[in-house]
Amino acid sequence: MEDYKFLFKVVLVGNAGVGKTCLVRRFTQGLFPPGQGATIGVDFMIKTVEVDGEKVKLQIWDTAGQERFRSITQSYYRSAHALILVYDISCQPTFDCLPDWLREIEEYANNKVLRILVGNKTDREDREIPRHIGEDFAQRHGMYFLETSAKEAENVERLFMEIAVELMEQAKCKELPKYDGSLGPINGKTTSVGDTSCCLRS
Amino acid sequence: MSLTLLLEKYDVSTEEGLQKALLEIEKEEVEVDEALAGVLSRACTLEGRLRTASQAYTKLGEVKTDAQVAADMVDRTAELARDVSAKVRQLDLARSRVAECQRRVHDLIDLQLCSAGVEAAIKAHDYETGAAHVARYLSMEPGSLQAARARGAPDPRHTMERAAATLGEHLVRKFEEAAKKEDEAAVERLFRLFPQIGRADDGVDLLAKYLLTQVEGAVRRACVVAGGAGAGAAGAGAGAEAAVFADALTRVLEAGAAAAERARRVPPPAAGRLPRALRLLQPAVCAGARRVFAAQRAARLDNAANATGAGALAAEPVLAELALSLSRVRLYFDFLRRKTEADASTLDEAGKQASAEAIEKIIAECELTRIAQDMLAHYLQLERYFLEESVSKALKMATPQAGSTTSSLVDDVFFIARKVIRRGVSTGSVDGACAVLNEAGALLERLPAAALRRWLRASVCSVCECAACSVSVCRRGVSPGSVDAACAVLNEAGALLERLPAAALRRWLRAPPDALPLPPPAAAPALAPAPRLTKELDAQRALFLAHLNEAEAGGEWAERLASEAVAEAGALCRGERDAAKLASCAAGLGAAAAAFRAAHDLGLAGLRAALRPRLLAWADALADPGDLAEDIEEDTDADALPAALDVLAESARAQLSPQTADAVLLGALSDLAARAERRLLHHTYSREAGLVVERRARRLAGWAGGAAPAARERCARLAQAAALLALERLQHAHHALQPAARLAPADARILARR
Ligand SMILES: Nc1nc2c(ncn2[C@@H]2O[C@H](COP(=O)(O)OP(=O)(O)OP(=O)(O)O)[C@@H](O)[C@H]2O)c(=O)[nH]1
Ligand SMILES: [Mg+2]
Repeated sequence: MEDYKFLFKVVLVGNAGVGKTCLVRRFTQGLFPPGQGATIGVDFMIKTVEVDGEKVKLQIWDTAGQERFRSITQSYYRSAHALILVYDISCQPTFDCLPDWLREIEEYANNKVLRILVGNKTDREDREIPRHIGEDFAQRHGMYFLETSAKEAENVERLFMEIAVELMEQAKCKELPKYDGSLGPINGKTTSVGDTSCCLRS
Repeated sequence: MSLTLLLEKYDVSTEEGLQKALLEIEKEEVEVDEALAGVLSRACTLEGRLRTASQAYTKLGEVKTDAQVAADMVDRTAELARDVSAKVRQLDLARSRVAECQRRVHDLIDLQLCSAGVEAAIKAHDYETGAAHVARYLSMEPGSLQAARARGAPDPRHTMERAAATLGEHLVRKFEEAAKKEDEAAVERLFRLFPQIGRADDGVDLLAKYLLTQVEGAVRRACVVAGGAGAGAAGAGAGAEAAVFADALTRVLEAGAAAAERARRVPPPAAGRLPRALRLLQPAVCAGARRVFAAQRAARLDNAANATGAGALAAEPVLAELALSLSRVRLYFDFLRRKTEADASTLDEAGKQASAEAIEKIIAECELTRIAQDMLAHYLQLERYFLEESVSKALKMATPQAGSTTSSLVDDVFFIARKVIRRGVSTGSVDGACAVLNEAGALLERLPAAALRRWLRASVCSVCECAACSVSVCRRGVSPGSVDAACAVLNEAGALLERLPAAALRRWLRAPPDALPLPPPAAAPALAPAPRLTKELDAQRALFLAHLNEAEAGGEWAERLASEAVAEAGALCRGERDAAKLASCAAGLGAAAAAFRAAHDLGLAGLRAALRPRLLAWADALADPGDLAEDIEEDTDADALPAALDVLAESARAQLSPQTADAVLLGALSDLAARAERRLLHHTYSREAGLVVERRARRLAGWAGGAAPAARERCARLAQAAALLALERLQHAHHALQPAARLAPADARILARR
């Protein structure tokens, strides 16, 4: 058995071409793939990181942005511990679609999932969405916000590490009381972290 | 000695001195004479030697001239050898040149023959011979042809090339004629000639074009059938005509596969060209698939989307058809991959690689792939609808009605889930299977597990709360030391619990009141059967147990489904990544299993809480020292509790799974023993009372040993505690604690004092 204490599922969503796959590969493999083709269906990668001396395994699901894969990708929302919603700061339409994505998240993801808004491609000169616009949007919708560049490896490591730290904190809070009579389903996915049989190992 | 020395040494001025000097001189003279004589004697030897030397010198001169002669000879020989080898080399060169010349002459002669032969063959329609000539021409060394031209002769290649081109044109024309006439034999014959004349690619293209017309025809026929049936289906409503669209798609794909199979039979020199043919053929297959899918959408899916009201039942045939279509597409692509691999099997590694990459590119970029993706999207949407719809229906049907005593919720729901997952796997798409697994896991976790929990909680939660509060009230009652107060509180709590539905569960613990020889006086009224226990309560009790069993079964089911899915879909995975993806999605069912387990645990806790008042009463009875009913047989007294527990165990075993029944019994006995022990510390005992209590405890431990092994240890401890009470003397205490002390020493001391 592998040696890790926590396993978290992180799902990346967002329009086609915003750089989800590049972000994942930058983080997991440390490279910026040239000529990255569109993702088909769903792809997944694993990286184990260390937080406070504890091993945390991140299972990263990279979904396809194209419309026709929607019904495949939607099925991954529910089991996600964290959702990264990505747009391209140099492409207004990808930002304009965010409300649609949020609607989808509302419908399929569990309501306590950790949500992070990411504006990617900060290395590009032709920025169309100023930083504060993205920041405002994230704040209005209760999301964390970060701008990244998969190409220049800017903030990519930080993005995933902060998610790991945050999820671990959540998991630790939930570790103690398992039966919580008043609060709807017990032990189900609604307590997003540390509840499934595969999540907590010691 | 020199004269000066002599003069210094001797005083020559005196006679005596002179005399001495003379003597000295004479002595020296004699020495010199001797030395001279020695030298003279050696002179003759020297002379002899000198003579020998001069003789040797003359001999050496002779040897030198001889050596010179020899060296000259060696030099001359070497020169000769060099000359010879140079000549040999020249000869070699000359011979190879002659051979080359001969070959060229042959080639040139052949070339003449070939050109003439090709023309003759064309005239005679003997294309095989013509092609053989061209093949011979192509195998000629370019150098000889060039050399021929270099000598100023007219380039012999021109005629030959003209002839070859003419032959090529003829072949193409003939091929097209044969294709038009659909003369399979001629097509096959002509196709085989193209690689010989060095135009394999043209041949493959021609064949592909020929096959393309055939595929187009077949596809058109396939679609026409689908169109007709589709229109019929739209009119007549779905149902009877099963899977016409999947059938039509199958025919389209079969036509494509047949063409691929024919195109693959390219003769060996042109092997590895299947992808080239497929690149031309695939669009026809795609077009056919597009038409079938468009018809299918119009007839079924768009309808299905509108008519979601039609319910899950109507969705099923459509789902089956989509899954079938998807699996056919997958089979078709696998077929193409396999054929391409076989086609490239004679090539080197690089060729194989290139061939495999080419086919993957064709598959990835063709429209059929996109159609399959759209189809999968439709399928998944509808499957999700079907799953939700069917599960909520099952839930609705299973929602407890007044008087219902059984529930098949879990069986129903897992039947549905299994069907859906199997169908998802049958699409042949790993992504499809994964998505279905995700949906099923999420839904199972969300709906049925939650419902069970709710139902179990509805009947139990209040029981739990009451039990919890009654326990705390008891504690409060007990702490002042008034047993009566505690009992009163307990009775009240008991009465309260009895009013709640799940409290009915306790009934099957109840031994008939008459069989209770030693009812604890204060608690007796509460233990009497409540008159309001009606049929309805019975039903509720049965339903509760049914739900409890279902929750347990749900957990097992979910895990079984997960491992089944991994086993069944394992074959679809191409590569480790796919397998890991699948395993991770299947693990989602583990979360559903956990939810069912939680429901089960909740039910168990409720059951235990419902049993507790009765158990506490029994514990009190067990520990009660007073009011020894002497008229009652000792054995009857001691056996009352085991008898009551038998009723409990039998009932539990009959209605619950073995594991659950064991868990219930373990919980019950732990509660009982813990409570009894605490009561032992409260009372004081006479020796007789001690014996009675000890007997009761021993019987209990004996019962536990047989019927509830898990609780044996706990009850044995109680028996030891009771044994201490029955001691005559404190000194014998260690006997009571044989074979192993299960009590803490402090507790033992307190007990022994009573
Ligand atoms: N300049 C720049 N280009 C980027 C960056 N990240 C991604 N790209 C480019 O954006 C294009 C799309 O990147 P992908 O990672 O394939 O996009 P995606 O979101 O995975 O797209 P789908 O898989 O179709 O949903 C590629 O050409 C990348 O080279 C970035 O940080 N800076
Ligand atoms: Mg991608």
